[in-house]
Amino acid sequence: MTTPSSRADARSDRTHPAARMYAREHRAGLMDRREFLGRATALGLTSAAAYALIGQPEPARAQTVPQRGGTLRIQMDCRELADPRTYDWSEKANETRGIIEYLAELKRDGTLRPMLLERWQANEDATEYTLHVRPGVTWNTGEPFTAKDVAANLDGWCDTSVEGNSMPSRMAAMVEDGKAAEGAIEIVDDLTVRLHLLRPDGTLMFGMADYPAAVMHRDKIGTSVADHGIGTGAYMFEEFKVGERIVLVRNPEHSYWGDGAWLDRIEFLDYGTDPSAWLAGADADEFDVTHETVSDFIDIFSALGWVESSVGTSSTVVIRPNQEAEVDGLRPYADVRVRRALALAIDNSVPLELGISGRGRESRNNFHVAPDVHPDYAEIEAHRQDIPEALRLMEEAGMMDFEHELVSIDDDYRKNTTDAVAAQLRDAGFKVRRTVLPGSTFWNDWTKYPFSSTNWAHRETGIQLLNLAYRSTAAWNECGFRNAEFDALLDQATAIADDTERRAVMAKLERIMVDEGVAIIPYFRALYRHAKPGVLNIEMHPKYEINVHHLGWA
Amino acid sequence: MAGFIIRRLGVMALTALSMTFIVFLLTNLQPNLEKLAKTQAGARITDAEVASWIDRNGYGAPMLTRYGEWLGVLPAPLTTDADGRAIGGRCLRGHPGLAAEEVPRFCGVLQGDWGYSTKFRRPVTEVIAERLQRTGLLMAWAFATMVPLALIVGVLAGMREGSALDRGLSTLSIATTSTPEYVSGVIFVAIFASSMVGLKWFTGSAKSAVEGATFQNFTLPVATVALYGMGYIARMTRASMAEVMTAQYIRTARLKGLSFRAVVLRHALRNALIAPFTVIMLQFPWLLTGVVIVESLFVYPGFGDALVQGAQNNDIDLLLAVSVVAVIVVLATQLLSDIGYAALNPRIRVA
Repeated sequence: MTTPSSRADARSDRTHPAARMYAREHRAGLMDRREFLGRATALGLTSAAAYALIGQPEPARAQTVPQRGGTLRIQMDCRELADPRTYDWSEKANETRGIIEYLAELKRDGTLRPMLLERWQANEDATEYTLHVRPGVTWNTGEPFTAKDVAANLDGWCDTSVEGNSMPSRMAAMVEDGKAAEGAIEIVDDLTVRLHLLRPDGTLMFGMADYPAAVMHRDKIGTSVADHGIGTGAYMFEEFKVGERIVLVRNPEHSYWGDGAWLDRIEFLDYGTDPSAWLAGADADEFDVTHETVSDFIDIFSALGWVESSVGTSSTVVIRPNQEAEVDGLRPYADVRVRRALALAIDNSVPLELGISGRGRESRNNFHVAPDVHPDYAEIEAHRQDIPEALRLMEEAGMMDFEHELVSIDDDYRKNTTDAVAAQLRDAGFKVRRTVLPGSTFWNDWTKYPFSSTNWAHRETGIQLLNLAYRSTAAWNECGFRNAEFDALLDQATAIADDTERRAVMAKLERIMVDEGVAIIPYFRALYRHAKPGVLNIEMHPKYEINVHHLGWA
Repeated sequence: MAGFIIRRLGVMALTALSMTFIVFLLTNLQPNLEKLAKTQAGARITDAEVASWIDRNGYGAPMLTRYGEWLGVLPAPLTTDADGRAIGGRCLRGHPGLAAEEVPRFCGVLQGDWGYSTKFRRPVTEVIAERLQRTGLLMAWAFATMVPLALIVGVLAGMREGSALDRGLSTLSIATTSTPEYVSGVIFVAIFASSMVGLKWFTGSAKSAVEGATFQNFTLPVATVALYGMGYIARMTRASMAEVMTAQYIRTARLKGLSFRAVVLRHALRNALIAPFTVIMLQFPWLLTGVVIVESLFVYPGFGDALVQGAQNNDIDLLLAVSVVAVIVVLATQLLSDIGYAALNPRIRVA
């Protein structure tokens, strides 16, 4: 692949001023390396340039280049496809990433790599972005990929009228009245698009690298790629059977812009949700890579001689009451004392140990920002289990006799984590009934359960998660948490491009989450994946991303 | 005889009709439709989006009307946008991008259209045909193993009631039939397929059997199904054999000096097989639906797996077709067993 690093060095005089500031902060010890790299590349620096700013060489990429050719078989749920903007599972994006690509890609170290864009620049206060389209990219129909395609996709990403479109929340700084704001997207020339944001947003490029942001042909926006197969990627579907298997093969008619696409053939094989079936498949030598290895199976797969890779993330299980849910005509969780009592009864290290065998790190307190992962994490006081206080609050609320029904999905870690929480609640003296629902029915009402657990995937910054899940108007606000003060602080924090400054507001947001007992957030997970020795570039990604163009055999 | 078969076919059609109506009723309850909308348009869509999805895609009409549409006796309405382009409706499912005037008005069972599987994103007939073929293969091998084995065990056990051989074989058949498939299957996988024990004679996953069943990848699922069914048939054969062996004509045969072997093979066997025949025929419908457990345990995408996936995802058309197939299989095997029974036992005449 042609990385623009050499060109970037020549342009170092045009380095974004904020990036220089971040570099100073990094050298002063105010910002760790990962965070610096993430912020700097989001502003348009290449990772080489970013490393250069802090006087470090860019770590050499894997020395071994994959062989050309071969077949790789990946165990993964094979899900049906729709309009990419409505993708609700990262698996769907993995299925299509060989066909429809992204403007940029999030690397494992938290930096962004330009893909369909050659580079981008943000102005000083992150209100104007200039996107430079990579020249020489073509659609597999033969048409060139141009700024028009980029603009059309951006327009589609801002459209809130599409059912299930989750992109507007990522493009919020350009959305007005349910669509892209007038004049926000400007086509400068065939290879340049300029974005004029309504308010500063330093996380915009992360949104464009996220899995629903697959770039469709400008005439095909709103369709499923399974229906026409038009994309810029090197591959095409040979077989597409939902729930069974999906086969991608290199598209012989298409000349791909990158020098990746090592493999001839990639098979995604669906083994259902039971990890013991995955193990049986691995034992039978039916696949080479797991999508994600969980719990006890991590050690078992390692014992088989497979290569383990892991990555620390902000993904977690949120055990949350819904403040608006009614149980027998009563709103049990509308009372903050009840919610606080539930949180105080929990020692967060227990779900970490029993739920995921300690494979992750304990949260600081019950707020949804991960230490050491999120650049805008602000440290506030740590959570402490306090059962007498929990009992006092619950009694004061007159809810000691209320039986809490705690719902979870029927799987390994989410069920065990929820069980651990339920057990601790019972130990504290509360009545708890556990309901375990199969994966297929659980998601039908996931925002409505009065008290349930939900797994949340990793996001690059804390503010993204708070906007996505806890804003009053957020579609995914499953806590029924509607707080004007919180929303106002969210607006304020989102508009701050500078981290140190944003942290002050983040601390306030985090404290509100804790004081309001919004949810129990016991830990942040590390994710694991196993592959047979010899598979290259398959290391676990914080967002489960698999880009089939990079994969290959040694 | 012809009248008998026609009557039976009539009963079959009627049963299928009532069965599909019940399934239709259950799968079209409002919460189930909402669930369908969410699996189709995204798990995290809002209530308003759910409602508009249901209306737009032709799930909004009264239930009886839509049952009529499924049967093909009522026309299915088409939703169009402001420009007159087709954007939803029963007959558009599976044909996105079809021009409004090309969409047929009727698309039900009577027109030969069994609908579109919302889970598998393919016409139901394709899914069912493919899945039945796979399960058929599994069933065929299971039958080929189970029936001869069960008859041999049953006859051997029943010919000398109370002997050590009888006790031994009876214990074996009771043990196999009282061990559920999800127990025996797991034990088989652990012993014969896992790295834990290390034998690895077979594979614990039958997924690759879709590409071609081999001794390695198909033995364990076949053995799991066959062993469970075997014990039952063997017990019936044994009881029937033991009863026959006490009959007057067997005593006569022995008194006239025939060898034990000749008595068993020439006189006892045919009469002893009448009762097991019915039991064997009854295994057909059981196998078709009973393979659900084995198929999910061994990740074999057959008919049972389609049933599970259909139910989990409220795939209405697929579930309706599955129930029609189930009705046909159950009633057809009953018909066959009645006819076969008459052939085996001349005292009974079908009328």
